[in-house]
Amino acid sequence: MTDFTRRGALGLVGAAAALPILGSPVLAGTKLNVGALRFTSHAASFVAFERGYFDAEGLDVEFKFFQAAQPMAVAIASGDADYAVTAISGGLVSLAEKGAAKVIGGALSEEPGIDGQKILASNAAYEAGLTSAKMLDGRSWAISQAGSSFHYMGSKISAAEGATVSFKPLQKVGAIIGALKSGQVDAWSIVPHIAKALAGGGAVKIIGNVADYLPNYQVTTVFTSADNAANKRGQTEAFLRAFSKGADDFNAALVDKTAGDEAAAEMVKLIHKYVYADKPLEKAGKSIRNGAMRINKNASLNMASVTDQIDWFKSEKLIKDSITVDTLVDPSYSEMM
Amino acid sequence: MDLTLENITHRYDGLTVLEDVSLHIPAGQILCIIGPSGCGKSTLLRLIGGLEQPSAGQVLQLGTPPAGCLNPLTYVFQDFALLPWRSVGGNISLVLEDHGIRGAAADKIIDDVLARTKLSDFRAALPRQLSGGMKQRVAIARALAVNPAVMLLDEPLSALDAQTRELLMEDLIGLWQRQPFTGVYVTHNLAEAVRLGHRIAVLSRRPGRLRDVIDIDIPLGERHIGDPRLEALQTRLWDAMKQEAMAADQELLHV
Amino acid sequence: MSENMHPNNARPVPFRGGGFRPVAKRGAAIIVFTTLILLAEWGTRTGWITNLTLPRPSDVATTLIDLWRSGLLWTHLSVSLSRLVVGGTIGITAGIGVGMMIGLFSYVRAGLIPVVAALFPIPKIALLPLFVIWFGIDEASKYALIALGTFTPTIVSTYGAVDNVDRTLVRMGQSFGLSWWSIVRKIVLPGALPGILSGLRVSVAIGIILLVAAEMLGAEYGIGAYILQAGSLYDLERLFAGVLILSVLGITTSWIIGLLEKRLLNWRG
Repeated sequence: MTDFTRRGALGLVGAAAALPILGSPVLAGTKLNVGALRFTSHAASFVAFERGYFDAEGLDVEFKFFQAAQPMAVAIASGDADYAVTAISGGLVSLAEKGAAKVIGGALSEEPGIDGQKILASNAAYEAGLTSAKMLDGRSWAISQAGSSFHYMGSKISAAEGATVSFKPLQKVGAIIGALKSGQVDAWSIVPHIAKALAGGGAVKIIGNVADYLPNYQVTTVFTSADNAANKRGQTEAFLRAFSKGADDFNAALVDKTAGDEAAAEMVKLIHKYVYADKPLEKAGKSIRNGAMRINKNASLNMASVTDQIDWFKSEKLIKDSITVDTLVDPSYSEMM
Repeated sequence: MDLTLENITHRYDGLTVLEDVSLHIPAGQILCIIGPSGCGKSTLLRLIGGLEQPSAGQVLQLGTPPAGCLNPLTYVFQDFALLPWRSVGGNISLVLEDHGIRGAAADKIIDDVLARTKLSDFRAALPRQLSGGMKQRVAIARALAVNPAVMLLDEPLSALDAQTRELLMEDLIGLWQRQPFTGVYVTHNLAEAVRLGHRIAVLSRRPGRLRDVIDIDIPLGERHIGDPRLEALQTRLWDAMKQEAMAADQELLHV
Repeated sequence: MSENMHPNNARPVPFRGGGFRPVAKRGAAIIVFTTLILLAEWGTRTGWITNLTLPRPSDVATTLIDLWRSGLLWTHLSVSLSRLVVGGTIGITAGIGVGMMIGLFSYVRAGLIPVVAALFPIPKIALLPLFVIWFGIDEASKYALIALGTFTPTIVSTYGAVDNVDRTLVRMGQSFGLSWWSIVRKIVLPGALPGILSGLRVSVAIGIILLVAAEMLGAEYGIGAYILQAGSLYDLERLFAGVLILSVLGITTSWIIGLLEKRLLNWRG
């Protein structure tokens, strides 16, 4: 099934390259699998799908949902997903080094003035004096896996405070929350809607903002297989166009709040189909609004942040020294800030 | 020490195996119990030794066991029941340890019983290194070690080939001649019964009843293979048992 | 002799036996392993196998050597081994104890066999978060996971082994007036030992499998943590190096149990 359409898509991509003047949809009926997590940060894809932006580009998108960013990166490498949005992890960089994946644009960013990721402390640690990130020395910091974005944030924040922390790999967000609630680990950082929900329930304390330590941190990126990036330019550009339109709608409705209350409510309703679908809209709506962080316009990528992240991976000996930003990023698709 | 069986009846799940068996076992003699397959001979032996409780009736000890007797009622099993992980000496010391006999005292007993069963050279050997006949001699040595008042032998030669059986019979006779012991010897082999028994108790097919008790006056030492008196006795026993054995055989087919 | 005179139509009886009897062929395994490794090396060098599919065996070897030279191999191995030894010892000792009880006492058997049957198929990994709450995130929860994982198979193999102890030996013990405790110690336990030891092979293998699971949560060092990290970094060389270490660990423990069997069960011949 996919075999046929992929081959068909190849031909169409060629046609698209040859006849760029022709109006869309040039790629009519191109089937794509887009990897996604059920997080607000993936909203741009959901919006593009629900509002027909993918259809308008001739992309027949099907979502593949994952529980974590890591398997999503592997799915891109294996060809089971075509495009996805996720944090830059050691795994993603290694896959890029093996010529399997490429970052083609930026998605979620920390931005001064917009509520971003929070630094959390367990209640026990808070009572024992961990009231701000300045007190991190000697504490434990929860991460999913070595080389994850949690690891990066914890490492950068503690380094900035001159603190030595021990990192506890706990694999899954659920396990981290459990460990934090029971005081098994001291600190963590996480997207605002989860942070606020936890702090609101009195389970943990918010002790700082990630943006204070990592301004303009490029949290997630858009990536695809190296093959798509190199050989399916038309399709990839079409995907990014639709994705960016979705991001614009999302930013206007929930981040900049320029689209008005009605648009915001409608946006929340749309996202609710994918995120917190098991909770009633009233409850979910709050979390969705809380979780709204800037998704970069036109999928532009903050190269300074990406470079910093790669340098950090190298300094931690998580990736090979020979890896550079060029190994990871194909800069030909989006604006590099 | 004499033993008396009073109206022993035994049932398994409503199936009567033994019915109203009364028997006297005098000290210093060997009593053979014979009968067709499934007549309850082995069950009777387990009842005598207290390994099972009869459904009705009782087994009585008359008098006290002699001094120095560690285990008055001692079994010799058909399949030897030697611990494969213990040497010949270890298997014998097993039954002494619980009586607090260790070290030199135990060695003395072990040396003595091994000498009596002609096993002195095999003290360190493991059971797997021994032939069937040797294993049974170890089992007999072990039984002798506890200086029993009554030896309960449950088809002790049935797992052995004919030649070994003959040799062991001579050994048993030799042992009894040097130091007479009280024995209850269960077998289905009539030749063994007429060679070893001072008295022979014949059981009927299931439910086992006591059909006959025959005394043999010939001293054990004078009984040899081919003795016409024994042959005649054996024939007599066989005639008495033949119908029962055939019926028992048919019966088993229907079980 | 006349027996040897045969008419013209005589022919030898064709041989129909043989086969179906595994014979130790030395070196066969080595040849298979070497061929597979050489094939992988050749495949990855020529590009016939992409580096996304398999790491180059020589790179895995280099990774292992680097790991050894850096001293980290011992750091990882020592914490993993201590987890395996402590957790495994607790689980196996308790398992043998409970298994013996089930084998010896009818009430314990009736009460516990359903519990064991319910406990056995639970993926112990699923309980890991719970263990973290109960025992903390440090060593105790890792010991507990490995202990529980080795506990249930040891119980099953132990009571199976006790059930299989020759009852005539027990009856012999009783007939000689041995005390209950003597019978358990001198007859039942040694009689069950072959079954317990062969069950131990399975239990220890499960312990090694669970090592990786145990080191999922909060472990900085350990072979399992090393493998998980390699997996999350998609670093195939390290992944394979780690898996290789686990395999060697498995072979070593199996060899040790083999030695134990040889020593303790020499009576089997």
